[in-house]
Amino acid sequence: MGGGVDRWFLILAALFTAFGGVMGMLTLKHGRRSRWTLAWMALGFVCLSGFLWVRGEARGACPLVGSGEILAFLAWSLTLFYLVIGPTYRLSLLGVFSAPLVTAFLVGALAPGMWVNDPQRVEGTNGWQETHSAMSVLGYGGLALAAVAAVMFLVLDKQLKDHHLTSGLFRNLPPIRELLISIRRLLWAGWLVMSVGIVAGFRMPHGQDVHLHLLAALGVWLGYALLIGVAQFRGLAGRHLSIGAVGLFIVSLSVFVFI
Amino acid sequence: MELVCLGLNHRSAPVEVREQFAVLSSQLGERASKLRELPGIEETVVVSTCNRTEFYLAGECGDEAVRSIRSVIGEVASEHWYEKRRLEAARHLCEVASGLDSMVLGETEIFGQIKEAYRLAHAAGATSGVLNRLFQRAFGVGKKIRTETSIQEGATSVAGSAVELAEKIFGKLKGCRVIVIGAGEMSRQTAQALVSRGASSVFVTNRSFDRAEELAEEMGGRAVHFDEWQGVLAGVDVVISSTSAPHPVVMPFHVEAVRRVRKYRPLFLIDIAVPRDIDPAVGEIEEVYLYDIDTLEQLAAEARSRRERQIEECKRLIEEELAKLNLPGT
Repeated sequence: MGGGVDRWFLILAALFTAFGGVMGMLTLKHGRRSRWTLAWMALGFVCLSGFLWVRGEARGACPLVGSGEILAFLAWSLTLFYLVIGPTYRLSLLGVFSAPLVTAFLVGALAPGMWVNDPQRVEGTNGWQETHSAMSVLGYGGLALAAVAAVMFLVLDKQLKDHHLTSGLFRNLPPIRELLISIRRLLWAGWLVMSVGIVAGFRMPHGQDVHLHLLAALGVWLGYALLIGVAQFRGLAGRHLSIGAVGLFIVSLSVFVFI
Repeated sequence: MELVCLGLNHRSAPVEVREQFAVLSSQLGERASKLRELPGIEETVVVSTCNRTEFYLAGECGDEAVRSIRSVIGEVASEHWYEKRRLEAARHLCEVASGLDSMVLGETEIFGQIKEAYRLAHAAGATSGVLNRLFQRAFGVGKKIRTETSIQEGATSVAGSAVELAEKIFGKLKGCRVIVIGAGEMSRQTAQALVSRGASSVFVTNRSFDRAEELAEEMGGRAVHFDEWQGVLAGVDVVISSTSAPHPVVMPFHVEAVRRVRKYRPLFLIDIAVPRDIDPAVGEIEEVYLYDIDTLEQLAAEARSRRERQIEECKRLIEEELAKLNLPGT
C-alpha cells in the first residue's frame, strides 16, 4: 500500500504549505492579508491526513514509528490546531507564520535517514502506547502553534516598542492582547492533551529506552506547567511568556532524541 | 435628460456662508421633494453636511434646472457656488462619496451621509431613473475605492493615531479603562476618541479638581484628586497625559509599583504634553508602550501623505467605473 503514494502525499503537503507561506509573505509585503493561506494549509492538511492514513494502514497502528513519521504527525497536528484556532480567532496571519514551520517539519520527515520507504507492520500494539504516542504528538502540535503565536507577539511587540509602524506586516498582525490570549489558550490546550499522553505513557509496558524519553517528556510537561502556572496566577509580561513558549518548544523537541 | 450638481463646500465657501445653506438631516427628503416642484427639475437629491451643501438635479434642460435652483437660493454668495454638469457632475459625486473631496482626505463618514441623503430623497419620491442609477453607481465606486486602495488607511490626527495604536494593542476597546492626567483640550480629544471606540471607564485627574470634574462629567467618567492618580494606575489600560508641568509626572517607579497588581498586562501610555509628562525610561518597562506627541504627529503626517499618494489611483478607478456604464444624464 505504501508503494510511493505516502511519499507523494508528503511531498504535496510540503509543496502546498510552502506555497501558502510564500504567497502569504508576498501578499503581506504589499500590505495586504492573504486570503488563500488558509486554503493552502487546508490542502496541506488533506495530504498529510492521506499520508497518515496510508501509513496507518501499512503499520496496522498509529503511524508514529521513527522520526520521519513523528515529524509528519507533528506537522499534521500543528496544522489541525491552526485550522481550528486561526479562523476562530481571526488570526489569519498565523497561517503565514505556521506554514514555514510545517514545511520545515515535512522537509525533515522526507530527509534521507528520516524517511522509511518500506514501513513494517507493528506487532503487539498496545492501547496505552498508541494513546501515549498520538496524544503526545497532538499536544506538541498545540504547543508548536503557541510558539508560532509567540513569535508573532515578539515581532509586533518589537515594532510597537521601536515605533516601526508602517510595514504591511505591522498593519496585518493581530492585536497584542488577542495574541496573548491565543498563546495562553494554545499552551493550555497543548499541555492538557500532552498530559493525557504522559499519563498513558506511564501506563504502557516499559523498556529501558522508553523510560528515558518518558522522563524527558515529563520534564517538558513540568516546564510547561510552570510557565502556564506562573502566567495564570502571578502574571507574566507578554515578552517573557512568549520567550518561554518558544524556548520550551525548542527544548521539548529534544524528547524525540530519546525515542 | 441632463444631470447637474450645484453646490458649495469647505473649499469654495467659509463656514459663515455654508451655515446659511445647511439643511437639517431630518428635512433632506422634504426639501428634495419641494425642489422637484420647480420648473425644469424632475429629480433631486439634497446633500448637506457640515462641509457641504449640494443639489443633484436631473431635468430635460440643465440651464432651466439651474435657473430654478438659483431662484431659490438667491443671489447671496453666488460666487461661492460651483456648478457641474453631465459627466463632470457624476465624477464629482463619485469623488465626494469616496472621500476625495472631503476636508480630511479619505474620511468615510461622508459615504453614510450621502447614502442617507439619497435614501430620504428616494423615500420622498424625489428620485427616479437618472439619479437612482447615478447614486447606486457612486456607492459602488465608493466601496470599490475603499477596498482596492488605501485612501482611508491610517489615522490623520493625533487623537486618531492614538486610537489606532490602542486598537493594535488591545483589539476592540470595549471595556478598556483610561486615565486622563491633565484636563487639556488635546487630552479631551484623545480620550473622547477612545470613548467613541468603546473605552468604558474614564478617570480624569487635574491639579484643579473642578476642571477634572468638568471633563469627567463630559466623558461620563470619574474625577480623581491629583494626589490619588497613582492608585488608579493599577486598574487602567491607557494613560493619556497632558499637564503643563515643567518636569515628568509619570516616573518609572509609579509603573513598577503596580506591575505585579496589574499581572503585567499591557499598558499604553500617551504623552501629549510639551515638555513631556512621562519619563522616557517608563517606555523601557516590558509591557509598556509609550508614545509622545512627536511620534503621534509623525504617524498622522505619514498617513496623510500616504492618502495623498492614493488620489491618482482613486481618480483612475472612478474614470474606469464611469466608462463602464452609460449613465443617463451624462
